Amino acid sequence: MLLVTSCSQNPKPVFNEYRTVFRIGDQPEWAATDLNDQHWKKRIALVPDGQVFWSRTKIDILKAPEALKPYGFRLEVYGEYEVFWDGVLIGKNGNPGQEADLPPEGKLWTTFIIPTDLTNTGEHVMAIRLSNYYYPDHIGNYGLKIDDYDDLLTDRLIQNSYMHVFAGAFLIAAIYFLFLFLGNKKEYPALIFSISCFLFFGLTMTHFVRTTVPIHYSLHVVRLEVITGLMFGISFSIPLYFSMQFPYPKWKLFLGIYTAILLFIFSIEHHLFDYTILNMAFSLLVFSLGIAVFGVYKKAKGAFLVFFTLLLCIFMRYSVSFNLSLFTGFSLILLNMLYLLSLRIKEQRLAYENSLVQSTRLRLELLKKNIQPHFLMNTLTSLIDWIEETPKKGVLFIEALAKEFDLLNQIENQTLISITQEIALCRTHLEIMEYRKEVNYSWEEEGIDPGQKVPPGILHTLLENGITHSLPLDDNSIKFKLVYESNSDYKRYTFLTFAAAVRQEANTKKEGTGLKYIKARLTESYHEQWELTSEPVNHGWKNTIKIYS
Amino acid sequence: MNILIVEDESRIANRIQRMTRAILGDALQSLTHINKLQEALGFIENNSLDLVLLDLNLNGDSGFDLLTKAVSESFHTIIISAYKNQAITAFEYGVLDFVPKPFNRNRLEQAFNRIVTKEKMVTNTTKFLAIKKRQKLQLIPIQDVLYIKGAGTYTELFLTDGRKELHDKSLEKLEQLLSHAFERVHKSYLVKIAEIKKISVASGSKYIAELKNGARIPIGRTKYKDLKAKWL
Repeated sequence: MLLVTSCSQNPKPVFNEYRTVFRIGDQPEWAATDLNDQHWKKRIALVPDGQVFWSRTKIDILKAPEALKPYGFRLEVYGEYEVFWDGVLIGKNGNPGQEADLPPEGKLWTTFIIPTDLTNTGEHVMAIRLSNYYYPDHIGNYGLKIDDYDDLLTDRLIQNSYMHVFAGAFLIAAIYFLFLFLGNKKEYPALIFSISCFLFFGLTMTHFVRTTVPIHYSLHVVRLEVITGLMFGISFSIPLYFSMQFPYPKWKLFLGIYTAILLFIFSIEHHLFDYTILNMAFSLLVFSLGIAVFGVYKKAKGAFLVFFTLLLCIFMRYSVSFNLSLFTGFSLILLNMLYLLSLRIKEQRLAYENSLVQSTRLRLELLKKNIQPHFLMNTLTSLIDWIEETPKKGVLFIEALAKEFDLLNQIENQTLISITQEIALCRTHLEIMEYRKEVNYSWEEEGIDPGQKVPPGILHTLLENGITHSLPLDDNSIKFKLVYESNSDYKRYTFLTFAAAVRQEANTKKEGTGLKYIKARLTESYHEQWELTSEPVNHGWKNTIKIYS
Repeated sequence: MNILIVEDESRIANRIQRMTRAILGDALQSLTHINKLQEALGFIENNSLDLVLLDLNLNGDSGFDLLTKAVSESFHTIIISAYKNQAITAFEYGVLDFVPKPFNRNRLEQAFNRIVTKEKMVTNTTKFLAIKKRQKLQLIPIQDVLYIKGAGTYTELFLTDGRKELHDKSLEKLEQLLSHAFERVHKSYLVKIAEIKKISVASGSKYIAELKNGARIPIGRTKYKDLKAKWL
C-alpha cells in the first residue's frame, strides 16, 4: 500500500527550480518577470514584527501542459502571502503584512492553479509577497512542486485514503488488544502491543492530517511536537515489548539506560524534529536488534523472525525515503509483535489445556487411591478373614472402611481441603491399616491450625508411604506425628514417622508415584511457591512441606 | 513339605498359614513367614524348600526380582497377589499357580493340589526358564529349548544354539510347567514335540526320536504309544 502510494506520483518532474532569493521591503514591481534580482539575498535569518518581504524563484518549465489540463503548484511556506506568477497575482494565502492585526488565516500547504498561457516551456518567475509574524526566524520556501493541477490535488487524497485504512487497521488492533488486556489484567504484552498500535495509529494520522485539516503555519510546531512525542512513545514501547517477550538478564537496568538515552536524544536539538525522530528510530532499531540477537541466542520462539525484520528495517532506512522506511518499518515490526503475541496466546492455550488434563488426572489419582488393587484386594482379603474369624471386629473394620470412602467422596473434586478433613482421612486410614497389618499405629499432631487448607490427599499419601516403607518398632508400634509451624514467610508441615525403617534402596532409586502426586498437587495450588523434602532420620522418616506466602 | 510364605500384610499372612496348616495337615514339615524382600532372598538361599507362596508387592517393592530368583530354584512357586493383571507375566516366568486376592480356602487348596497330585498345567504358558549363571539370574526363552535331560535333582537344558545350561528344578517339576509344549519321552528326557523330525526303531526294538538338529533321544517303552499319538 505504501509502495503504491509513493510510486503513484509523476516520476519525471516537469520543472526545474532555481535558488530562491529574498528581499525585505514591499514594492509591487518586484513581481515582474524581468526584474534584476541579482542583489537580493540568498538567505535572511530574521524578519521581525511581521514586516512584509518578497521572495523570487526562477523556474524552468520543461514541458508545457496538455490542452485544458492546467498546471498547478503546491507550496509549503511559513507565513501569509500572495503569489505572483510571471508578474500576475494568481493566489492569496492569508493577509501578508496584517498578521498582527488580523486573526491567523490560510494554511501551511496550499495548491494554486497556474493560468495555461503562463506555462509555456521556458523560464518563469514565481514571486511571493509575504510576512512571517509567528516564526520570524523561519524564512524560506520549504517545498515547491509543479505538476498537473488535478493530480496535485488528488494524489495526496488518494495517499491519504490508503493511509487512513492503514491507520484504521492499527486502531482496531489497539482496541482489540486493549479489551484482551482488560479481560486478563496480567497480560502486559497485550497492553503494550495495544499501546504501540495506538501510538502508531496516532503517528500515521498526525503525519497525514495536513491534507484533510488545514493547519495555519503558526500551529505547525504543535503537529511536529505531537509527532515527536508519539515517536518517543513508540521508541520506548517497542523495545519494552521485546524485552518482555525475550527476557534477558537485568532487562530493567538496560531498559532504564535505553530510556535515558532516548530522553537525551529527545531533549537535545529538540527543534530539529526530523533529526530527533531519525535518531530515536535508529536507537529503537539498534536496541531491539540487540534484544532479538539475545533471543536468537537463547533460541526463543519467533526471535529469528524479529531479528530478520529489524535487519530489513535498517536496510530500508538507508535505501528508501525516510517516511517510507518509517511507516513500512513500523508496520513490519508491529506485525512481528502481533505474531509473537499469537505464539504466546497459543502457548497459553496449550498450557491451559494441559492444566485441565492435569487436574483431571490428579482427581482420578486421588479417587484411585482406594480402588487400586493393592489397597482394595488386600483390604478385602483381611476383611474376609476378620469376618470369618471375629465377625464383630469385622463389622468395625467395615465401618472404618466406609468412613474412609465417605471422606474421599467429600474431597474428591476439590483442589484444597481443610486440614481437619485431611487429618480425619489419615486417622481412618490408620484404623483400616491396623486391621490389615495388626500393628499398633498411633497419630499425634502439634500446632495444627484448623483454618488452614491443603491439597487433598497429600498427607494421606505421606502416611501411605510411611506405612508401606516402615516396619514396626520392637513393641509392634509405629507412630506418625504432624507438626505445623508458620511465620510471615512460610507455613510448614512436618510429617514424622517413628518406626524401624525398611531398607530404602528402591525408594532412592526413583521417585515413587506418591511423591509425584504430592508435587503435582502442590504445583497445582501454589505454583512454584513450595518445597518438599523427604529424608530418613534416626527415628524413621521425615517429610516437610513448606508453602511460601 | 517345607513352605515359605512371603507376605507383608500380617493378617493375610496369618490367614495363609492357618489355611496351609489345615489343608496339608501332617504333610507339612515347616512353615515360615517372612515380610521383607531381602530376608526372603537370604532364606531361600540357605534353606531347602518345597514351595514358596509369594506376594508380588512387598513394602512398595516389586516382587519380580524375588520371583525371578524363586523360579530359578528347585522348588515350585505360587503367587498370591492383589494384581490379577500380573498373572500372565507370572505364568510366563514359570510359576505353578497364581492365586488372586481375595482368596478362600478352596482356591488355596486347589493350588496345593497341583503340587500334591503333580497335576500337569495344560493351560499355562511358561515362556522363560530362569537359570543361575555366574551368580546372576538369566531368563532362557522356552522357544530356545530343544529338550531337557534329567541329571539327578538338576536338569540340563539343551538349547537351539548348541549350548547346554543347568536348571535347579527336577525333570518332574519342569514337566509340570512345560507340559503344553514338551513331552516326557523317557524317564530322563523331556522333548519339545515340535522339534521331533522322526521316530525310528533301532536294534533291540529300542525307539529313538530324532530331532531336527540331528540329536537322538531314547524313547521309553511305555511312552512310545502316547508320544506317537501326540506327535502324529
